[in-house]
Amino acid sequence: MSAIVFKNLTKKYGKQYAVNDLAVEIETGKITGFLGPNGAGKSTSLRCLVGLAAPTDGSSTINGVPYQELENPLSQVGTVLDSRGFHRGLTGKQNLKVIAAAAGIDDARVDEVLEKVELSDAANKRVGKYSLGMKQRLSLAGALLGDPEILILDEPANGLDPVGIAWLRTFLKKLAEGGRTILISSHQLAEMQNTVDDVLIIHKGKLVASGTLSDITQGDTLEQAFLRLTGGAA
Amino acid sequence: MKLLVSELRKVIYVRSNWGLLVGAIFISAVGTAVTVPILAPVEGGAVFGVSLQETSGVDSVYANAVSGYIFAIILGILLMSGEFRHGTAVATFLTSPKRYRVVFAKLAVSALAAAALMIISAVAGFIAGWLALQTVDDAASPSENLFLNLILASALAGAVLGVIGLAIGTLIKNQLLAIVVTLVYLFIVDPLLLALFPDSAKFLPTGLITAMLNLDIDAPELGINTNNYLPPFEAAGFLVAFGVVFAGVAMFTSLRRDID
Repeated sequence: MSAIVFKNLTKKYGKQYAVNDLAVEIETGKITGFLGPNGAGKSTSLRCLVGLAAPTDGSSTINGVPYQELENPLSQVGTVLDSRGFHRGLTGKQNLKVIAAAAGIDDARVDEVLEKVELSDAANKRVGKYSLGMKQRLSLAGALLGDPEILILDEPANGLDPVGIAWLRTFLKKLAEGGRTILISSHQLAEMQNTVDDVLIIHKGKLVASGTLSDITQGDTLEQAFLRLTGGAA
Repeated sequence: MKLLVSELRKVIYVRSNWGLLVGAIFISAVGTAVTVPILAPVEGGAVFGVSLQETSGVDSVYANAVSGYIFAIILGILLMSGEFRHGTAVATFLTSPKRYRVVFAKLAVSALAAAALMIISAVAGFIAGWLALQTVDDAASPSENLFLNLILASALAGAVLGVIGLAIGTLIKNQLLAIVVTLVYLFIVDPLLLALFPDSAKFLPTGLITAMLNLDIDAPELGINTNNYLPPFEAAGFLVAFGVVFAGVAMFTSLRRDID
């Protein structure tokens, strides 16, 4: 069974299509890169996938059921949508303890995931004082709270400096070695080429390519393939 | 239960909520205490038709102990609009995608926290009023059940205002706008309606909260005659009805909206 399935998903805002008839399956145990120019519909697709936005038509499932129907979803799916999802006045640890309580996860796990993303030293610092890189790490810690098999990461490298990107690359590789299914959207095409097994490319809301990395690149770099498939859109 | 714990943690961890409690205590205490010198008898006469030598006069002093209600409603607003302001709504609804459960938990915790805020501030107001009344010779005793009525009215009003605040925070996602709209209503619109249309406005929140105190004050100079208000239990019923309607609005809005 595919881990994630988009079934003819469409999302419109007024007359504008944000996502248009997206139909694709994400295989279990693989890292799939979800690529597309700005405004292509990547984030909207992911928001529909995790139930934050209602599709205009079609549907999507995770492990065979809609996200809203998952029992204790954090134990099955970890999600990073942006780095804004934390209260600035709370410490990193307090933010995670709020999420842990809602998911019925023991507070001890909060310390574990903070250590995993190397934020233990800043655990009791208010998030308002975190750098963007630290917020991204905190988002990853939140996604790992329930030790899920599936990770959905929307632009996790956004705003990271080269050191942060290198850290993220190593971190994702470690996660992938554990057999997790990872769906990751990113603009960092060179990074993605070194990380992903499969690729989805979306442009103007429509899926324009999907397959293994080698199928998509056909001997080119991922960037060259991306530009070819999206008509030069960057 | 898990969601209740999570929402309670939000209330406890966010420092501005403690600021609201301090504000409510301050307003209730000062509001009650300063009423005493204002109403203190001038050469034995009544001021504004109210005498502190009479039970009704002393009751009108203690009635100000519920002045912290504005902070109860703001607490409810912050509990919901804060989710949108800080973007934590995403994590909240990812953790519990069945949104009605989140809204139920938020309504319960908002009602509980706002009721606690009202009770604490009312007690502070009562103590401040009692201390201030010690400076007045021959001040009358309050009515027998005033303290009990004050606590009960504070608890119920706090719970309902917490629910109403939460609903306002759901409807108006911009936190500042939600607070300004509420303040304008409570400080300008509601008192104006109460003064201009006392027969109809007694069904509005401020009139209902006052009615629940079961006071007996007739001060035409202040435009107050509690005999025009609803009986306490009827007022409580209407206030709860307000809460139910607003809770429905919060539920309906949250279930339908895309989360940014």
